[in-house]
Amino acid sequence: MQQSKRWAWLKSWEALMFIILCTVVVANLRLSEHYLDLNNLANIFHLSIEKSLVVLIMAFVIINGEIDLSVASVMGLSATVLAERYDAGWPIAAGFALALCVGVLCGLLNGLFAAYMGIPSLIVTLAGSIGYRGVARILLEDRSVGDFPSWFTSLGQDGIIGPFPITIFVFIALFILGFVILQYSVFGRYVYAIGNNRAAAEYAGINAKQVKVTIFMASGLIAALAGAFYAARLGNVRANAAEGFELDIITIVLLGGASIFGGTGTMIGVGLSLLVVLNLRNGMSLSNVDGNTQTSVIGLLLILSVLVPNLIQILQRLVPRLFTAISRILNKGGATEPKSQVSVHQ
Amino acid sequence: MTADPLLEIRNVSKQFGATKALSSVSLSLYPGEVHALLGENGAGKSTLIKIMTGIYQPDSGEILLQGRLISLHNSAQAQKHGIAAIYQEPLVFPDLNIAENIFISHQRRNPLVRWGKLYRDAEKVLAQLGVALDVRALARGLPLAAQQTVEIAKAISMDVRVLIMDEPTASLSIHEVKQLFGLVRNLRKAGVAILFISHRLDEVFEIADRVTVFRDGQFISTAPVVEVMPEQAIRDMVGREIGDIFVKEPSPRGDVVLSVKELTREPRFHHINFDLHAGEVLGLAGLVGAGRTDVALALFGIAPAQHGHITYLGKEVHLHSPKQATRMGIVYVPEDRRQHGLVLPMSLMANISLPSVKNYRNQWGMVQRGKEVTTAEQYRQQLSIRTSSLSMPAGKLSGGNQQKVVLSKWLNTKPRLLILDEPTRGIDVGAKQEVHRLINQLAQQGMAILMISSDLPEVLAMSDRILVMREGQQMGIFERHEATQEIIMAAAIGQTLDVAAERAAANA
Amino acid sequence: MRRIRRWVPLQRLREFSLVIILIIVVFIFGNQIDNYYTPRTFNRISSTVALITLVAVGQTMVVLTRNVDLSVGSVVGFTAYYVGRYVSKNEDIAPLMLAALAMGIGAGMGLINGLLVAYGRIPAIVVTLGTMAIYRGALVEYSDSKSVATRQLPDWIKELPQESILKFGEYELRALPAIALVAVIVFFFLLLYSSFGRRLYAIGSSPEAANLAGIRAPRMVTLAFTMCGAMAGLGGMLYLARFGTITVDAARGMELQVVAAVVVGGVNILGGSGTVLGAMLGAILIGTIEQSLIRMNINEFWKDALLGLCIIIAVTVDRILINQLTPWWSRTELQRMPEEPHAAV
Repeated sequence: MQQSKRWAWLKSWEALMFIILCTVVVANLRLSEHYLDLNNLANIFHLSIEKSLVVLIMAFVIINGEIDLSVASVMGLSATVLAERYDAGWPIAAGFALALCVGVLCGLLNGLFAAYMGIPSLIVTLAGSIGYRGVARILLEDRSVGDFPSWFTSLGQDGIIGPFPITIFVFIALFILGFVILQYSVFGRYVYAIGNNRAAAEYAGINAKQVKVTIFMASGLIAALAGAFYAARLGNVRANAAEGFELDIITIVLLGGASIFGGTGTMIGVGLSLLVVLNLRNGMSLSNVDGNTQTSVIGLLLILSVLVPNLIQILQRLVPRLFTAISRILNKGGATEPKSQVSVHQ
Repeated sequence: MTADPLLEIRNVSKQFGATKALSSVSLSLYPGEVHALLGENGAGKSTLIKIMTGIYQPDSGEILLQGRLISLHNSAQAQKHGIAAIYQEPLVFPDLNIAENIFISHQRRNPLVRWGKLYRDAEKVLAQLGVALDVRALARGLPLAAQQTVEIAKAISMDVRVLIMDEPTASLSIHEVKQLFGLVRNLRKAGVAILFISHRLDEVFEIADRVTVFRDGQFISTAPVVEVMPEQAIRDMVGREIGDIFVKEPSPRGDVVLSVKELTREPRFHHINFDLHAGEVLGLAGLVGAGRTDVALALFGIAPAQHGHITYLGKEVHLHSPKQATRMGIVYVPEDRRQHGLVLPMSLMANISLPSVKNYRNQWGMVQRGKEVTTAEQYRQQLSIRTSSLSMPAGKLSGGNQQKVVLSKWLNTKPRLLILDEPTRGIDVGAKQEVHRLINQLAQQGMAILMISSDLPEVLAMSDRILVMREGQQMGIFERHEATQEIIMAAAIGQTLDVAAERAAANA
Repeated sequence: MRRIRRWVPLQRLREFSLVIILIIVVFIFGNQIDNYYTPRTFNRISSTVALITLVAVGQTMVVLTRNVDLSVGSVVGFTAYYVGRYVSKNEDIAPLMLAALAMGIGAGMGLINGLLVAYGRIPAIVVTLGTMAIYRGALVEYSDSKSVATRQLPDWIKELPQESILKFGEYELRALPAIALVAVIVFFFLLLYSSFGRRLYAIGSSPEAANLAGIRAPRMVTLAFTMCGAMAGLGGMLYLARFGTITVDAARGMELQVVAAVVVGGVNILGGSGTVLGAMLGAILIGTIEQSLIRMNINEFWKDALLGLCIIIAVTVDRILINQLTPWWSRTELQRMPEEPHAAV
């Protein structure tokens, strides 16, 4: 009993992710001598910092039993708002504040339709992803806005400790915050309960709608923050900024062990899966693999990570049946009575 | 009993992990008999049904149909052999119309659907059952009894030879049960073998020809119904002597906790009036669909009332959400534990602390697990919840233990008013008695309890007063000493109140 | 009224209201835009809509079973490229053979999706999110990031979009919309009258009940995904015909437009209800709004914002109306028949 408990974690998703991560790291070490360079390590995170940020809140959304396809458009819209306002002469800080407000507003809209109107969030945020992107197009049309003050772009580009820019530390802080809220706080408990069984959670006196709207608003906020970081890192903004990011983000969360039906998954699992994906991409980039192919490798990993445990389960059920079938055939060959096809003995 | 058995189960065993669900059980069904299967929860009844319908495969043993060995690998094969099952909660296709629902399994045979013929055939089958339904209507939102009728029509349309009925009456009103029994008798006349599973002994004795008892996955006995005494059957089921149903002890009646005036939510219920005192159990009796659960949901804030006044602890209140009701000390133990009572994959401990988890925060807002464990452990002992670990997912517990977890989670919020909806439905005899003792104890401590129950002996034994509803209307409130099963039933099925009251007077 | 309720299923009512909305939308645009009611407008809209409709037909079947296929954009892109490359090397291949090839490739990709969903027991959204990336990656690897150019194609395929099948005065039904229309009609009847179609509805309506009724859901779901893939494959060929130039980014993001069309068309994303007719109407409505906005003299960058708004309004209104109507529209109660078996209902 003690023994089995001590090793039980090995069967967990986190363990699987950890093993994959180790494999990827070892493979990268063998592939390229530059892998461990400090600059490369910074790059691993730096180049995907916006996605990584949104992954954190997407974990909440998915564990809560919803989905948010609109995050990439909110990122784009936030970057656009910031750039457009800057272009119109506002100081960056004011544009940044407005961008965050717009993000929260987008999240609020998603949340109201999904939680209060009862429309599946897949649809609401699909419409949102088209609509918010559309607003970005209205604002910037086909212009590209750049020439941000240098202090702003250096926030996104220059390292503050070694080559690591401040955005990475923002991410780490938010990861710890997200971890504590999800795993140890009352709110986190509600997120899991609602994701598992919304009706039972409501019957227990939890206001599920309120929790859902809160999560969607947080999703909008974080996406807007990530959008601003994106503008700072790239130094210029077009209306199609961050297009298509939502799929990568959702993939990382699902790979992290969150069920698309809600209720399961942990922050640690999501964190590990983020490391797996970032390192995998980095390794492939170092060996000059095309971006689309990188994505397809991650897609394959996503399917395999769910398929393999399922297959093992199916095999576990099939193998004994196979044995029975074989013993049945053997018995049939040996026995003379037609009725002893099934062994009754125990 | 004629000649040979139609279906024979021989020495069937089935094991799930470490638990033996069935160990070498045998059972035979003859054409034209109603064979009742009795057993506590976990006796292996549902496993047997699933084996008979091909959903599970037995580890060993054999199934013979008319003397020939058959093997069932899925429910399609079972249907081909004429074996069909009707479940406690009928499973219809809400987006298909009634005719399609009836004939869904026939479609394998003809690749094209002829709608006109389908509708005519469906009407014919329903006419055979002596009922009429618009066969073009979608099954969505159909009342439970009508859904069950559709299921039976489905079975009949498949030329069923063996019909398994798994607690078909659990959610039916008395009137509907009568209707169902009429159907069962017709089927029996037509030579169908029926396996009838029910927790309600009186029904079993009314309808069955033979009775088989299972206990802990083992075969205990089979006997013709005339030779079986109810007490004996119960002894066989639980394997020990049990006294009569627990009777609530008188408790001091305190102040009025809840006062309801002219409460109405159209079209569910109208003009409901009652007072509920501290230390009192008010039974809410009536047929299924009489609107009892709707009254409870209105008091719990899930489906608020439209008109009328609710006075709680001396103040008029408007209840509009469970969150608000819970805060005020009004809690509701729902009828459907698995859907509404518990978050099944979450641990027993987390379920117990769920409504009150805010009380377990430290100054940083984090949940203190140690305190949660203490609470859960306390309730495990107090309500004797049988589990190996507090971190066991609630879904893995038996029905009785699940109900105790639901009760624990609400008791932990220190409620003033406890609403129980079918508190002992589908749980075994032992757990039922424990729940009754708990209700009694809570009433002694001064809690006000509103108890909905379709189990008449339970209502009579546990209530101080009984409110009877019929089709959304309040038919009257009876003091415990003036109530009998007949009086309650008369009110519930709508015999004039005068008659019932006269009888009450006569009895008193 | 009762008669109407009895004989007109709610679904027809839904489609009817979509038609009304479409007429209103066209009327509004007709008032705003000069020379709106012209064959040119019609052709322009119909050929845009054709592609989405075709893929939406396949998607409808998948959505009916409570699944979703996000990989259709990649399938369209891959088949468009593959077929384009193939036909540029084998110019004499018969059009029908080429269509069969496209559908075959699409069906293969759909089959993989279906097997993983039905037998691998992985949620459809996870599988198709993965295969969306994988099929796109396959296209990149296969094409070596090169493009198919219009000049490499044989003439018949370049002229296919201008081919006119039927003519009503100046209005003509061109080949692409005609193919889509045929697909809609075939699948409309398939879903309404075949037991395969009814079983798709049953599976989406209640998987548990389908299992108990002996419906082999995995097989049906696999088949639905395969057919969806085949339709996307055919869509790939038409994509090639319409655009001529195929890059590795061909049809990227199309899956969202397709899902939007299906949803606006009243197909329940949670399975069990909806028709391909609805999906087509959804595609037409979206296509009309999109194309008409481009014609209108307001800023064309408004297109996406209005489209998103349009989807959310359509779904919300549908939700509210249908929720209110359903219980009233198809209401029946269990009635005890009088003793005579032939008494009136």
